[in-house]
Amino acid sequence: MEILYLLIPLSVILVALGAAAMVWAIRSGQYENLDRQEREPPE
Amino acid sequence: MQPVPSADISAPVRWESYDQPALRDAVTASRADGLSDVLIALENMHCSACVSRLEKLLREDATDLRFNLAARTLEFAWNASTTPLSALLQKLERAGFAPKVLAQDHELRTDAIQRRAELARIGVSGVLAMQIMMLAWPSYFDGSAVTSAIDQLLRWTQWVLASTALLYCGWPFFASAWESLRARAVNMDIPVSASMAIAYIASAWRTVLGSGDLYFDTVSMFVFLLSAGRYLEGRTRAIAGERLRVLAGRRALTALRETGDRIERVPIGTLAIGDRIRVAPGESVPVDGMLQDQAAQLDESLLTGESRPINRAPGDRVLAGSLNAGLHSLCLIADRLNTDTRLSQILRLLSSAQASKTHFQALTDRLSGQFSLVILVIAGLATGWWWNSGLDQSLSVALAVLVISCPCALSLAVPAAIAAATSRLAGQGVLVARVEALMRLPRVDTVLFDKTGTLTTPELRVACVRPLTGLGVPECLRIAAALESGLSHPIARAFPASAPAADVRIEHGCGVRGTVDGQRYWIGAPEEALIHFDWPAVISKDAPEDSYTWILLADDQQGLALIGLSSPARPEMITVLRELKAHALAVEVLTGDRAEAAQELTMHIPGVHVFARLLPEEKLARLHTLQQSGHTVMAVGDGINDAPFLSAADVAVALPQGAAVTQARADIILVNDSLQGLMLTKRAAEQMNRRIRENLAWALAYNLVMIPLAVAGLLTPWVAALGMSVSSLTVVVNALRSGGTTISQQQAPSPAPTA
Repeated sequence: MEILYLLIPLSVILVALGAAAMVWAIRSGQYENLDRQEREPPE
Repeated sequence: MQPVPSADISAPVRWESYDQPALRDAVTASRADGLSDVLIALENMHCSACVSRLEKLLREDATDLRFNLAARTLEFAWNASTTPLSALLQKLERAGFAPKVLAQDHELRTDAIQRRAELARIGVSGVLAMQIMMLAWPSYFDGSAVTSAIDQLLRWTQWVLASTALLYCGWPFFASAWESLRARAVNMDIPVSASMAIAYIASAWRTVLGSGDLYFDTVSMFVFLLSAGRYLEGRTRAIAGERLRVLAGRRALTALRETGDRIERVPIGTLAIGDRIRVAPGESVPVDGMLQDQAAQLDESLLTGESRPINRAPGDRVLAGSLNAGLHSLCLIADRLNTDTRLSQILRLLSSAQASKTHFQALTDRLSGQFSLVILVIAGLATGWWWNSGLDQSLSVALAVLVISCPCALSLAVPAAIAAATSRLAGQGVLVARVEALMRLPRVDTVLFDKTGTLTTPELRVACVRPLTGLGVPECLRIAAALESGLSHPIARAFPASAPAADVRIEHGCGVRGTVDGQRYWIGAPEEALIHFDWPAVISKDAPEDSYTWILLADDQQGLALIGLSSPARPEMITVLRELKAHALAVEVLTGDRAEAAQELTMHIPGVHVFARLLPEEKLARLHTLQQSGHTVMAVGDGINDAPFLSAADVAVALPQGAAVTQARADIILVNDSLQGLMLTKRAAEQMNRRIRENLAWALAYNLVMIPLAVAGLLTPWVAALGMSVSSLTVVVNALRSGGTTISQQQAPSPAPTA
């Protein structure tokens, strides 16, 4: 079970990175206009 | 609909106007780092290739480029002191992107920033709650597989994560509770903060000690669920105004002005009354004005909620904010600009309506404050009661009581239902200026109508012509139409469009002179004729058709014809009055006109009482008589002439004539100019009140059941957190559903807006 000494801090760090990415995504407006239907496909 | 490229819009655009401080400050927002933000619509940005081209193009001048391909806009920041905006706009134009600067709605921006911060907090707290729960998982069981050292690791890690959750995601609750304490009031956030603080401190203490149950998982779940609930609450409050605000913030700031045979694009601020303005297909009309030349199709959904395009003929009014839904450019002459446009007035009305709280809401706010106080007391008592069973148990009970009783349902019940009802009505062309009126509406048992302009359209129509000499009716009408052509007086619109007379002069308030085929003519009120001419009056005072408005057409020697104008009844009038009677409402028509005119209108509707020849004071007196005998009265008028009458009623509904929307001192304003709005409003009000009652009943029942359970120790804190959120969500979802009676979407097509 000693592996937990590594895994638990590692998971905290990984989740922190994920959370930071999510905060960036929200702050830079990736979630605006989610229900716009006029999404045009990239040409 | 694909915009058809018009060959006539080839005028060079004057970008220099954007360097003038007034306009520049109106379109740009200054940022914390000293740069300025601007929002630009780029017609020809279709794809990601365009995006990379734009990035290269603007690389040296602008930073923080934000693209929105779906909306075809670009927002960027640049240093306004080193680079003039016109230079950037010119660059974009030369690259073929057809830029257009859009109005920045500053309020919308800060709202968006706030909203994003809230979402970020919800997201982070959710993630943290999951992680903490994972770490706490072994402690839910016997934990025999976990060594003491691992156990410590798990505990301390939980503490670190929970601290982040509380500090980053939970601080708004503490801030709000602190504000409330400073104001010596109790608000809902006090029990919430108390429970979070107690749980956190107790758990932290136990982590240091090395043993004892931890509540970090409860705290973080609580933060997550509460944040999500508060976010939803904020969204429901914002629904009502959001649609209009978002669209209004995207108004273009320039217009195409025709001077002579040149067409140029100028900032809206430089337009003047009387300018000829062109609006290309797909663009929105920048100012209020009168349509010229050709018929056009307009999408007026922004203003009236009517989403089908309306056909407008030359002479009709077109309003700022409507979209040119036709295939060709339309031309109009501006007569109301900027803050005088109906659009601006509607926006102002909506924002002040949103800001005002009803008495009922203030009451529920006070109630939830008192409720919070009671809860704190109960929690304290419960802690004392369970004290003998150990600190663990009493703490758990205290937390459960504090958490489950969060009066979110109580404080959400009313606003959610109100927001749903007002936003739905706004989409149907009914503006609710005072929400209390909606709450009073179901109690109304009598409806009083004004006649002119309310039951009848404000439009006048030629009803009959009485020639006084040998000149025939068609000839009289032709001359009259020529004299009145192009004028904006209501009387002028009764006549068909025709070639205007020459040398037209309007004499204030009394008549129009002009030359037709070389002859001088005059048209105006018969009473005025007596003043201006010497010949005797030719009006028969007891003409049977007394409901008409008479005007006299004359040449230099004598009166030629009397033309009688009348207002036709609104097409939906009979249906609406019948429906009101079907709902067992007493309907009365109060008018200053003669009885015959009103009776002619209400002939087909049994049970409608007519009170005629009333002075304004007498109308008011009738209203008071009804109210004193216990009736709840709704008054329907045009809002401007009937202001005292309307403001005395329990519910005041106005059909404003034209642009005077904010002068209509009414509770409910039928912006789509149709009496059908009355039925829509009635149904919406009934549904809203029903929802409020349902929500309050649910909140009450929930608390009556759950709090005893919590005190009895039957609820663990995390179950309490779950239960509280479910109850809040139930309230919101119930308020937003439109089940039961479906609000009818069928309306008569809206008639032309009047001046």
